[in-house]
Amino acid sequence: MIQHLAKNRDEAWPWLSAASVALSLLMLAALVSLLVVRGLGHFWPAPIEEVTLADGQVIAGHAVREAPLPDRPGHERLYYTANRDLDGALWQWVALDTIQTRSTPVELVLLDRASWGDFIGRLVAVVMPNERLEGEAAWQALQQHLNQRNTVANGAPSRAASGDSYVPGDTYLIVESVEGRQRQQPLHVIHRAQRPNAMSMGEKIQTWGSAVWRFLSQGPRAANTGGGVWPAIFGTVLMVLLMSLLVTPFGVLAAIYLNEIAHQGRLTRLVRIGVRNLAGVPSIVYGVFGLGVFVYGIGGSLDEWFFSDTLPSPTFGTGGLLWASLTLALLTLPVVIVATEEGLARIPDAQREGALALGATRLEMLTRIVLPMAAPAMLTGVILAVARAAGEVAPLMLVGVAKLAPQMPLDGEFPYLHLERKFMHLGYHIFDTAFHGEDVQAALPLVYATALLLVLIVLVLNLTAIFLRHHLRRQRGN
Amino acid sequence: MTPPSDTLNQRLRLARDRLATGLITAGGIGVLLAVLAIAVFLLWETLPLLRLGDTLALAKLTPLAWGTLKAAFYALLFAVPLALGAAMYSALFMSTRLRHRLKPTLEMMEAIPGVVVGFIAGLIIAPWVERHLAGTLLLVIGLPLSALVAGTIWHHLGTRLQRTLPLSWAGLWLVPWFVLMIALAFWVTPLLEQQLPEDDLRRFLDKQWGIDYATRNAMIVGVAMGFAVIPSIYALAEDALADVPKSLLEGAQALGATRWQALWKVALPTAGPGLFSAVMIGAGRAVGETMIVLMASGNTALFSASPFEGMRSISAAIAIELPEAAPGGLTYHLLILAALALFVFTFLVNTLAEAVRQRLRRRYRRLEGHP
Amino acid sequence: MQASLPKSAPENAAVMHFATAESCLEINDFSLAYAGVPALQGLSLQVPRHRVTAFIGPSGCGKSTLLRAINRLHDLNESVTLSGNIQLEGRDIHAPQLNVAELRRRVGMVFQNPNPFPMSIYENVAFGLRLQGRMLKRKRDDTVEWALQSAALWEEVKDRLYRSAWTLSGGQQQRLVIARTLAVQPDVLLLDEPASALDPISTLKIEELIRNLKSQLTLVLVTHNMQQAARVSDYTAFLQGGELVEYGPTDSVFTNPRLQRTENYITGRMA
Repeated sequence: MIQHLAKNRDEAWPWLSAASVALSLLMLAALVSLLVVRGLGHFWPAPIEEVTLADGQVIAGHAVREAPLPDRPGHERLYYTANRDLDGALWQWVALDTIQTRSTPVELVLLDRASWGDFIGRLVAVVMPNERLEGEAAWQALQQHLNQRNTVANGAPSRAASGDSYVPGDTYLIVESVEGRQRQQPLHVIHRAQRPNAMSMGEKIQTWGSAVWRFLSQGPRAANTGGGVWPAIFGTVLMVLLMSLLVTPFGVLAAIYLNEIAHQGRLTRLVRIGVRNLAGVPSIVYGVFGLGVFVYGIGGSLDEWFFSDTLPSPTFGTGGLLWASLTLALLTLPVVIVATEEGLARIPDAQREGALALGATRLEMLTRIVLPMAAPAMLTGVILAVARAAGEVAPLMLVGVAKLAPQMPLDGEFPYLHLERKFMHLGYHIFDTAFHGEDVQAALPLVYATALLLVLIVLVLNLTAIFLRHHLRRQRGN
Repeated sequence: MTPPSDTLNQRLRLARDRLATGLITAGGIGVLLAVLAIAVFLLWETLPLLRLGDTLALAKLTPLAWGTLKAAFYALLFAVPLALGAAMYSALFMSTRLRHRLKPTLEMMEAIPGVVVGFIAGLIIAPWVERHLAGTLLLVIGLPLSALVAGTIWHHLGTRLQRTLPLSWAGLWLVPWFVLMIALAFWVTPLLEQQLPEDDLRRFLDKQWGIDYATRNAMIVGVAMGFAVIPSIYALAEDALADVPKSLLEGAQALGATRWQALWKVALPTAGPGLFSAVMIGAGRAVGETMIVLMASGNTALFSASPFEGMRSISAAIAIELPEAAPGGLTYHLLILAALALFVFTFLVNTLAEAVRQRLRRRYRRLEGHP
Repeated sequence: MQASLPKSAPENAAVMHFATAESCLEINDFSLAYAGVPALQGLSLQVPRHRVTAFIGPSGCGKSTLLRAINRLHDLNESVTLSGNIQLEGRDIHAPQLNVAELRRRVGMVFQNPNPFPMSIYENVAFGLRLQGRMLKRKRDDTVEWALQSAALWEEVKDRLYRSAWTLSGGQQQRLVIARTLAVQPDVLLLDEPASALDPISTLKIEELIRNLKSQLTLVLVTHNMQQAARVSDYTAFLQGGELVEYGPTDSVFTNPRLQRTENYITGRMA
């Protein structure tokens, strides 16, 4: 069959070139769908399987994935069995041919606990100071307690205060793993309880939604392997916001100077090429500059002048929000300058001359005609800069990102915005959790979710920029 | 008719204009100087190395430089054929509708943060490839072959089918075909591997030729970083090819050349400098990329050209070691020297690429008959 | 000012200088070069007040350059060198202490392609007024209406003053630009081929407008449409190769040109 193409080589090449497009698209699609499926799938209340093995062992957990057996033909399956306090591990590999029975009993519960991670097993009883409930009644009571606590936590009128019988500290649960080991759990360590096997589709969707919301709105727990990424989102947004506040005026100023004021000679052309090329300089180099000049240079001097009482522990002389924003502002400066210059260059000279001919000074021409017309281009540049900065991690590793920031950079304490504090960042969160975490397997789903979030943020920003640019071209077109 | 003249207002406006012009000039020059300061700072901080005069310390940088070049080489090995192929296809064969969709899609691809690509490559793909090495290697040969097979089948299809699946949309409808082929490859390889004496390609390579296989290696970095640089090479190469004056291609085709011959004999030589500068820009990006190498390379400073072994790049070393290096110490200055090397290299490469592109643009203008 | 200025001109360049009316604009031995390449050479002429003066000549003869020089639009280009002078109402427009913005307000200019700003019709006309400082809204409204009426556009746009100026047709846009210029009450209006991008009907409207406007101000029109120059102008200057070839009342330039070169151009027998 290939002979035909071998004879007509000219007809073979187009297919190979088409294949490169197809392969690129395939890779992109695979990456995005992997992130979407794994990132969003993690929050889905997956069924809990109860598995009896050939040696009589009984385990229960979520099936995660399968892989070929290392020593003999066949496959094995990874189960997320939780119960680290009982088993010493969260995971268990099970060879498929040793599985005797599989079932999904509705009464299996998944408890989200403050310590030792999740628990998977059966709820035996809820023991309150004055009564002990078992079976379905125990489940009902547990749910009621958790709901009440959530309403209290949400600041709704406290029933506990109004003399209701709700006293969480005294209540405890008796739970039992599937192979029959029992444990007592005080009610206050339980965050949430669910019975995934008993859920209807609607309940699952609801649980999924609230899990996604918790991921977005809560802080990390258990060494970043659990909980949410709110501080990282907040840190990323705050840093990018500060950066755009810095980069926009300076980038626009430089672009106006280059395009409207500077003598358009050889020097300006050289400077323009230089600025363009700076966009290609690796981000890590900017990080080195930020560390050397901002952190050690300026930060060190600031510490000597104003914060000498706390030395040798540095205040500004170490990585922090301000230095990170400044470094990224410098990094994205070429993006803003180039985009703004393109916008300025696209404004017909007739508009400038029209304004001048009416007696406008150059400043009036710029502020009343040129800048408003170039605004979409500037906005495009700033959005592209923000998109680039949001995804950039390498320079931040040098100038102020933290794996777990103890304090938010913005709080109710004077001066409210703490520019010297370290902050968390979505991109660095991915790197750190995936590569320096204790249990990568446990952290993986959250890393997927974080990566998906970061990609979404960056893609939405880029799409906005593309849309704006497209809109701009069309507007100029007519 | 006399104008409403308000001399005070006039003078105020004029003063404001002068002031603003001065401020903009000062600001603009200031920003440009700040940008220049990067180079000055890097140079200044490397000077103490001369005083320390410890030439042995430079030897520390050689494996890093090697690792950087190796990573960039494998990335380009993967990215250049794909990106240039995609550029040729979209400039010459692709339907305009698909092309207008493809460009922003690949722009999206460029925007995906390096840390995400690095995470997927280092934590997901690397262990997976380790388990399916034979299948992956088969794909390297298999996918291009399968595209040719698709082409051959297409030539034997009826005209109706050819019209529903035109070559101009092949970039899209080959995707499911590839999915099928990849599935096939991974179904077939275990059977093939059983023919090997060792039953597993990795062990076979080790026993037979003593080839080590590291989970995170140059091949993985090449694919991941290739993924990241494909869009920038593609965008520039596509621009260069699409800007080739249509009259040239039509002229060649009027003389009886096929579309591919017209591309090969006319478009490529004309757009050659543009393609070259596209590859240069890609090389610049590959050399400086940090997170992907850091996460997918294994980060071991080895002197080895093997695609199955890891490396450590300059940028990764800076990211990891510089925060811990004491300012003013030897390591600190050495790492700054490394940063300077990156800066100079990428700046030169980009300048060269830009100069080539500008010259090309002038050439196109001449070819189109403008002076 | 009756005497013609002596000029060290070649024998065939018998340029006529005159001033039937008082002159508003005086150009004396004016030369201009772009980066050393001369575009205008030793031009001298006087533009009479409240008349329409047309500059005609082949492409690249320097007529637009001269017009732009009167508005000092060359200031933006640093490779331009000048000599000689241009006087507006007896004051040198290149004098160092002169306020360029004020000069440009007094010398309005309309370009070949309509260039309305990307704002509403009202704001386009009010643009120049806003530059001049605070003004009561009532007064500004009145001025805008007056300017639009002067430009014969009021009836067409009075119901959509706040719509974007880019929604107007080409001819309307050009009249809007004229209205915008009139609103700041200039002494001189320079028109650089104002109708060359327009259809015949719009062209006629512009020409009628030009004839009507000369009661208010001095107009200088650059055109390469000979009929247009004949229809609307009172005086015509013929430029060629950056030099003034012939200048006089339009009737005499068109019906009885003094020089062969002028006649060749006017009758279309250009080499």
